[in-house]
Parts: sequence; structure tokens; C-alpha cells
Amino acid sequence: MSDLVTGIRAQVRDLLARRRVEYVVGYETGSDGVNARPFFAYTTEEADRLVFDNTCTHNLTKYLVEPERRGSTIGVVVKPCDARSLTVLLAEHKFPRDVVAIGVVCPGIVQRTREGGDGEAPQARCQVCDQHTPPACDILVGEATAEGPVLDQFARLAPLEAQSAAERSAFWSQQFERCLRCYACRQTCPQCYCDECFAEALDPEWVGVRIGRAENWLFHAIRCFHLAGRCIGCDECERVCPVKIPLGLLNRKLRKEVLDRFEYRAGTRSDERPPLETFRKEEKLDLA
Amino acid sequence: MAQSTADTPRTRAGQVEPTAIWQPRLVGFLCNWCSFAGADMAGTSRLTYPAAIRIIRVPCTGRVDPLFVAKAFQRGADGVLVAGCHPGDCHYAEGNYYMRRRYVLLRDLLEFLGIERERFHLEWVSASEGKKFARVVSEFTSQVAALGPREPPRQGPTELEAGTSNE
Amino acid sequence: MTAQRITRQGLLDWLNGVAAKATLIAPVRVEGIYLFRPIVKIEDIALDYSQSTVPPKEWLFPRSDTLFTIERLDRAYELKPPAAAGPRVLFGIRPCDARALAILDRLFLAEPADNLYEERRQNTVLVGLACARQQLPECFCTSLGGGPQEAANVDVLLAGAGEAYTVTVATEKGQQLLSGATLRDGGEMPPAPSLSNQVPTAGMAERLRLAFNSSYWQRLADRCLGCKMCTYLCPTCHCFDIRDCDVGGHAERVRCWDGCQSALFTKLAGGHNPRASKAARLRQFYAHKYLYFPERFGVTQCVGCGRCAHFCPVNIDIRETLRDLQTLEVCPHGSGETARRREPVGAAFGDSRASA
Repeated sequence: MSDLVTGIRAQVRDLLARRRVEYVVGYETGSDGVNARPFFAYTTEEADRLVFDNTCTHNLTKYLVEPERRGSTIGVVVKPCDARSLTVLLAEHKFPRDVVAIGVVCPGIVQRTREGGDGEAPQARCQVCDQHTPPACDILVGEATAEGPVLDQFARLAPLEAQSAAERSAFWSQQFERCLRCYACRQTCPQCYCDECFAEALDPEWVGVRIGRAENWLFHAIRCFHLAGRCIGCDECERVCPVKIPLGLLNRKLRKEVLDRFEYRAGTRSDERPPLETFRKEEKLDLA
Repeated sequence: MAQSTADTPRTRAGQVEPTAIWQPRLVGFLCNWCSFAGADMAGTSRLTYPAAIRIIRVPCTGRVDPLFVAKAFQRGADGVLVAGCHPGDCHYAEGNYYMRRRYVLLRDLLEFLGIERERFHLEWVSASEGKKFARVVSEFTSQVAALGPREPPRQGPTELEAGTSNE
Repeated sequence: MTAQRITRQGLLDWLNGVAAKATLIAPVRVEGIYLFRPIVKIEDIALDYSQSTVPPKEWLFPRSDTLFTIERLDRAYELKPPAAAGPRVLFGIRPCDARALAILDRLFLAEPADNLYEERRQNTVLVGLACARQQLPECFCTSLGGGPQEAANVDVLLAGAGEAYTVTVATEKGQQLLSGATLRDGGEMPPAPSLSNQVPTAGMAERLRLAFNSSYWQRLADRCLGCKMCTYLCPTCHCFDIRDCDVGGHAERVRCWDGCQSALFTKLAGGHNPRASKAARLRQFYAHKYLYFPERFGVTQCVGCGRCAHFCPVNIDIRETLRDLQTLEVCPHGSGETARRREPVGAAFGDSRASA
């Protein structure tokens, strides 16, 4: 058992024994005996089911914004990227500050292909990660590590950006055609928490029920824009997509523009307003 | 969105009929206090500008939800114009500052999705600038016309459903 | 039923002939996954595919289906039926997915039959492709009476891989389709693959009835994200929504897939939601398949394809749930269970995790 797992279990046992929290959202080993899945520990005994390894891909802060959990004091295990989600949610006042964040120093998460073959390469987000120690958390498990060199996290965009508008339009049309609108991308995103999603609003019916190209296009364009300046780059939307639409590209594009234009990176500072919630009167934006 | 067929010689599928002179179909979101009044001024001054634009009045550019713009493009608009009070003159003090930021990011995203940046334009037009309004619409119309018609995401059944592929 | 052989080349030649007369729909590889798509080039068919991500049900019960279009005339409206379905050949369907279509038949073809489904069904010939191996790590068809070489629900079944296939003609329709094929006598069924998953499904209806008020569902639903992936990727799920869509110039009445895992699925106009919690919705997923559908139609509405378990983003695994339900301690009157309220789910998987 790794030191991280021992550390997490000890902290969670303590939190539950002291009744500091009602329950803790963490990871346990899933039904294949290898890959982790979310687990809710309610008792100190259950704390011993918690694990942490390089398969813990889920962003558990998603569960904190579920309406039925409002009012509960919850502990949550967060990787550094998940901690950024938490910072965004706290800044947006999604819940009072009685979440206990158990930050874990993250070794990087591996990519698993759905074909059954186990690729052990790090996920795309982890290859360019520059934050292996959670920035803001109440309890830290693991030794803070020195950060490696910062890689270009936007390199993946270049091939598409180099194309013509018509080529890009055709590319996305092909991608969105596969979309079933199962809404897994939305449901897994911690930053998607509207009580009524525009995609399912009936009055006015913006998107329409048809699962077709035009409707899918509008859904994805706006789903992505709603995350402008808020997406922390966990890429879970892309991971969960059953028909492999590269949604991470859309979010990455907006993260890049937000960084270039407003020098803002979501979830890194809690004292800064998200770029679309504020403005500077004198700023020069290339409007023409 | 109102759809008139008189000046839009397209078939429903969005194809342009080769014989007719194609005019772009534009949607303009104008702020009630400045640009809508500016458009009014252009009218009462008997200035002419292309009739390709359909105007939707909004209380403030700050009210322009990205959804409105995306929806216009989804339903086949060739270009979208957003116009409002000059910075500092907003009736609600700061709505247009928010729109300014929203605009640049939305333009980036739409461009990434394959909608040329020239098709989406933000302009400041005050209530007294009837002339400017006419000029902005003329220039925007020719700018979009130069790009030609867009192929909007196709509405209705896809060949996936119809099952009559083998095209 | 007769068994014959066909070479790989013979198969491709025959499919070329088939594609000339009907729309040929077969698995193709798209961005690393397999989907059933209309075939333009025969070489595009992924003959050795594992399992399609989206089940082939979408060719009989499409994700969006136009029931009729409404055209506005001068002072009246005209309702137009959708274009008639042409002849189709669904090639390469796995035995479990074919079995799923037989289950959908019970629902859609029961009187009064759904005319769109019926028309498509009658115009579709099913060519099955037997499984030479376990296709998804989670699939368990044999636990539900199916099998990797089941020919009961297709018109023709092909088995084998590589250079030669064994052809089993199951119906008259299949015989006709094969008329242009170069077949040799003496095909022999390859040995059936051994499938590792055995899931206890017997008596599940009763177990579900007993567990109706169990807190098990709350614990399971804790991690459920509430997406509709499991229902959309299920070959037997068939719920839909019907609405009128303005398509610009005319309107259409459209039937689209919908799924019970969405909170909006049961939300009423007044705001009340009879299935208000994720737990109630998750229970519905299992109870529909193993309790309500069997009660009405006499068969389990699950074929064990394993897709829901395989693709679930948070590993809600139907095999695990079914095992848990077998061992769950429940109050005999189904009025709720208190003793094991906090018992974590997945207990049936034993000790592999608890003390890692």
C-alpha cells in the first residue's frame, strides 16, 4: 500500500471519527480490480476501502454541486487539477466553505483505452501538467514536489488552427454528427451545474430535441463557451465521451485565448474574478 | 427568426440558386438606447443601407447571450452584428464592457468551429450616429458578401437517420 | 438450417453485390471506435471488429425519427409521411444485438404495431457475425440464455475469421440474400469461445421487488453522474420523447431517444418529479430490464452485451449490481431496510478491494 493511500485513509478516518464531515468522496478500486472509481465513505471502516493511484481520473468535485448534497459537510479527495475546480466553485459561491479538501500529490493519471488494451502513457492533460501539488486544500497528503519544466499545453491545437475555416467547419461537423447527446460531458463537468441547462430548456427551446447535426453543433458551441475562463482542464468531458468527440480541443482553445488575452488561468487564484465576470475600462481588445 | 423569402434566393437546404444574385442574410442585435436609435436616425435621415440585415432590439449589448449569436449562425445566418453604446456611454453603466470581452472570446471560439471571424462583428454606434450605422451595415454586408454563403449545420434528418446514404 | 463455407474474397464479392441492391450497413472504424454505418467501399467494413459502441438498434429505432412533416399551405396544413425505408442489409451484427432486436420486436410490433419500426424491420435483412472471442471484458450473454454463436435472431450467421467463414442460413430471407454468393458445402462451426463472465440472473424480478425500498440504490447512485449514456448505448433501451420541431419553413413531429437517467425524463409540467432522486432513476434502469419488461413481455430486457458497464464513466457495473442484488439483505415486505443502511455496494466482489 502506498504512503498516499495510508495517508488518505488516516485522514479520512480522523475526519469521520471527529464528525468533522458527514462523508468523504474518494476513490476505490473498481469492478475490474484495476481502475479506480468514485467512492463515498460514510464510516471509519469504509475509509479503509479508499485508494489512490494513477488510475484516479475522476474529478470528484462534481459531486459537491449536486443539488441533493446542498447543506451537507463533505470531505473530498482532490488532485491538483481538481483543487482548481474547487477554487472556481468556491469563488462562484456554489457552497459555503465547509468542504474539507484532502489534497493529494498527484503522480499523473494514465490513459486507458476502451479497447481493453492498457496503454500506460500519461493522459494528455498530465503530459503538460505543471502542478503536481494541490494549490489550495485543507489537508495535504504526500510530499510536495518540485515542478518540472512547463510544456506547451496548447500544442494539440496547432494542426486545427492551421486549417482553413471551411476545413475546420467540416471537421467539427463530422465530429458532432456522432454525438448522441447523452450529456455525459456535461454531467461529469464540475463547472456545469445550472439547475436548468439551456440544452434542455423548453421555453424558449433553444437547442431542440432532435439528436442531429444542427442541434449538436449548438449544444457543443455553447456548452464550451459556458466554460470560458472557468474550465480548469481536467479533460473529463473528453474521457467520458462514448463516441470520442475531442471536446478537450474546444475547451483548450478557450483556455488558450483566456490566458493570452486576460492572463487568467481558472482556479489558480481565488482573489481574481473570472475574465467574463469583470472588465477593465481601458483595456485594448482587438475588436476589428 | 423571421424568414422572408423575397430577398433570400436560397432553397431550404441552404444552397444558392445560381441564377439569382446572392445577398447575405445578416442578423443585427442592437442596443435599445444607442444603436437602435442610431438605426432609427439612419431611417429618418433617409439614408440607405443594404436590406440584408434583420434587426433584433435588445436592452443592452450586455444582454446579448452567446446563445443568441450561436443560434443565429445555427439557423443559417451568414453574419451577426452586435452594436451598442460607446464604451463609457452605456445606459446601464457597464453592460458594453462585458460584451466587449465576451465578443472577443466568442469570436475566437466561432472561428475555431469554422465560422470566419469576419462574419461576427461588434461596433459602437450612438443614437446620433445614423450615418455611421448606415456605413457599418454597408461595410459589414460587403465584408460578409465577399466571404460568400455559409454552409450552416444542416437541419433536419441526416443520412444517418434517413438511411439512404450510398451517396 | 444448413452450414456452408465462404472464403473471405467470396464474402467481399457477395457484399459488393448486396450493396448494389440494398443499403448495406456494417461496422466501420471511426476515431478508434466501431459504429454501424452505411458502406460506400466494401473495404471499409471492419470484419474483425470487437463490438460497436452504439448498438445497431439505431438503424431500426433511430436517435431521431421524423414521424411526419407539416407543410403550411395557403389556408390549410398538409401532413406528409416520411420517405419510405428502402431495403437494407445490416451486416455483422453480433448475436447479442440481434437478440436485442428480437426483444424490441416484442414491444414495437405488439398490436398496434409501430409502423415506422415495422416497415424498417421488414425491409432489413440481418447478417450476424458470431463472436470468436469475448468482445468486451464486461459482456455476459450466456448468463441470459444467449451465446456467442446464436443464430436464432438473424437471417444468416457467419462464423470464423481470417480467410474463411462458416455460413448458417437461418431463414428464407437469408436464403434469398445468399443467392448470389459462392458457397461451398461442408462448413463446420468453429469452437465457441469461452466467456469468463457468469452473472446470476435467475429470480432477479423477485429480488428487485424486495429491494425496491432498499438504501442500496442510494449508495449506488452516490457516484452516478446522471448522464444517459447507459440507456443510449443499450441495445434494448427504447424510451423516447416526441415533440414538434420548427425546421425553418415547415415543422416536423420528431421522435427522439430519451433516457430514464435524466432528471427531466419524468418531470411533470407542474414541477413534480415522481423519480426525483438519482437512486430512483438508477433503480428504474434495472427494474425495467429485469422486472417490469419481463412482467409484460415475458423476456428479460437485457442481453448482457456489457456496454453499460464498459462505458459508464464511473464504473456502475451491471454485473456487480446483479450480484449484489442476489445477496442483499432486504426487508421481506419491501418497506425499507435499516440494518445495513451503510453497507457499501460491490460487496459481492469480495475481498479484492477492501484490504488492498
